[in-house]
Amino acid sequence: MSNDPDKVWPTGLTLREAEEVHSYLIDGTRVFGVIALIAHLLVAVSTPWLG
Amino acid sequence: MDNFKGFALRKISEVSVRYLPFADAASDAVPLSRLLRLSLFQVTVGMALVLMVGTLNRVMIVELQVPATLVGVMLALPLAFAPFRALIGFRSDRFQSALGLRRLPYIFKGTMLQFGGFAIMPFALLVLSGYGEAVNAPRWIGLSSAALAFLLVGAGVHIVQTIGLALATDLVKEEAQPKVVGLMYVMLLVGMIVSAFVYGALLQNYTPGRLIQVIQGSAVVTVALNFFAMWKQEARDRGRAMAPQGPKVSFVEAWARLTQRKGMLRLLTIIALGTVGFGMADVLLEPFGGKVLMMSVAETTRLTIFLACGSLVGFVMASRWLGAGALPVDMALYGLAAGVPAFGLIVWSSMMISVPMLLTGTLLAGFGAGLFGHGTLTATMRSAPREQIGLSLGAWGAVQATSAGVAIAIAGIVRDAIVATEAVGTSASAPYTSVFLIEAALLALALLLALPLRSKESGRTVEVNPIENTCLLVVAEPHAVPQAIESGRPS
Repeated sequence: MSNDPDKVWPTGLTLREAEEVHSYLIDGTRVFGVIALIAHLLVAVSTPWLG
Repeated sequence: MDNFKGFALRKISEVSVRYLPFADAASDAVPLSRLLRLSLFQVTVGMALVLMVGTLNRVMIVELQVPATLVGVMLALPLAFAPFRALIGFRSDRFQSALGLRRLPYIFKGTMLQFGGFAIMPFALLVLSGYGEAVNAPRWIGLSSAALAFLLVGAGVHIVQTIGLALATDLVKEEAQPKVVGLMYVMLLVGMIVSAFVYGALLQNYTPGRLIQVIQGSAVVTVALNFFAMWKQEARDRGRAMAPQGPKVSFVEAWARLTQRKGMLRLLTIIALGTVGFGMADVLLEPFGGKVLMMSVAETTRLTIFLACGSLVGFVMASRWLGAGALPVDMALYGLAAGVPAFGLIVWSSMMISVPMLLTGTLLAGFGAGLFGHGTLTATMRSAPREQIGLSLGAWGAVQATSAGVAIAIAGIVRDAIVATEAVGTSASAPYTSVFLIEAALLALALLLALPLRSKESGRTVEVNPIENTCLLVVAEPHAVPQAIESGRPS
């Protein structure tokens, strides 16, 4: 396993594994961003802060 | 550079083992502390349930002055997601991951949904109630955002609970499953009781700002508890990641195979009937005590506490008996057998105007519900081969959650219908006692359906557990599992 050519430095994950971990991060960020956007819109509707 | 690379690699390899969110290995003995930590996801589920059904139900109607029917529709929305539990469980069983994970990605996504729903919920509710400038905003903004918030939380709760239970089942051997089921139920109850007190205390002096703090606080607590619960629970599995992808099985096929299994459809029917039977009383006991037996608010709260305590005793006893080798189907049977006289006692108490009798009946009903819930969940876990646990638990959850919701709706409708049709000349007790009688009848029907399962199962007791032997195979040879389980099981 140790000299698996797929492994990328420095984590020792293979490329597919690294991409999967990355996809969770991206998904989480997207969901978080959309939620934040909706929350801001709703607050702006009830207490407008942009005049 | 080479020096640095070597140094960094060594450091990372030292660090990663301790700080990565995966288990070191799928060890055979999981200590109780780890199971306790895992069961924390049930606390967040209980928290979400109490917040939506209990606290927000009241806050929306009393403080925010949202019409009661609209509140009812909003609270019922998450139920629309309950049948999808089976699909989620199935998808998680077949999840393709380079890391060899099956449960963690789903729990992560479920937690994100729960968090997102809570994060926008307070603002959505404020807009819905027309707070501040929102009076002039178009109505659909408040309606759709509140619906979105409830849907997100509901979907998150369903996903986290289904996959969390599947993960718990993955982790332990079959002998330990009753203990885990009991633990999960107790933690759900504990989460509900504790969060009910906390929410009550926090929202004593209601202000819109306090509402935002409380709900968003729950969002943060949910994420924190769920991450803490999942940390290092599921092992990375290179074998599973490398395994060639099996033939594609569609959900419909898998579902058909599940329901074709001997007794599965019957078990699901029993779960539906029993859950409706036990569940209808949940919302009617307190008004029944107040209107018919003239109990005070403090006394009727005692009814709910008695019901919960009865369930708690039921879970604990079921864990003990199952651990000693009793059959899960027997537990469900005893639960149903306790439920029928329990509702008889409750009905009788209205004729005798006897509070102690009502309390005894309530305690017995709770005890029966505890035994029944534990027995049916354990039976579902045991009936599934290791590769299909997500689907089976999803089916259990779909049936159970849908029936619990249907029970509450039916209870309200039946009572109101009887109140409306027989306005004059009927006693105050008639609407309630008729619901309790329906419950007793449903439980008796479930009891009749469950009896044949017992005679089928009893043949299995004599044998030394065949699953235990196959569990050893699971570790050694992942591909051999389905065949091994099929052949190890008496047909």
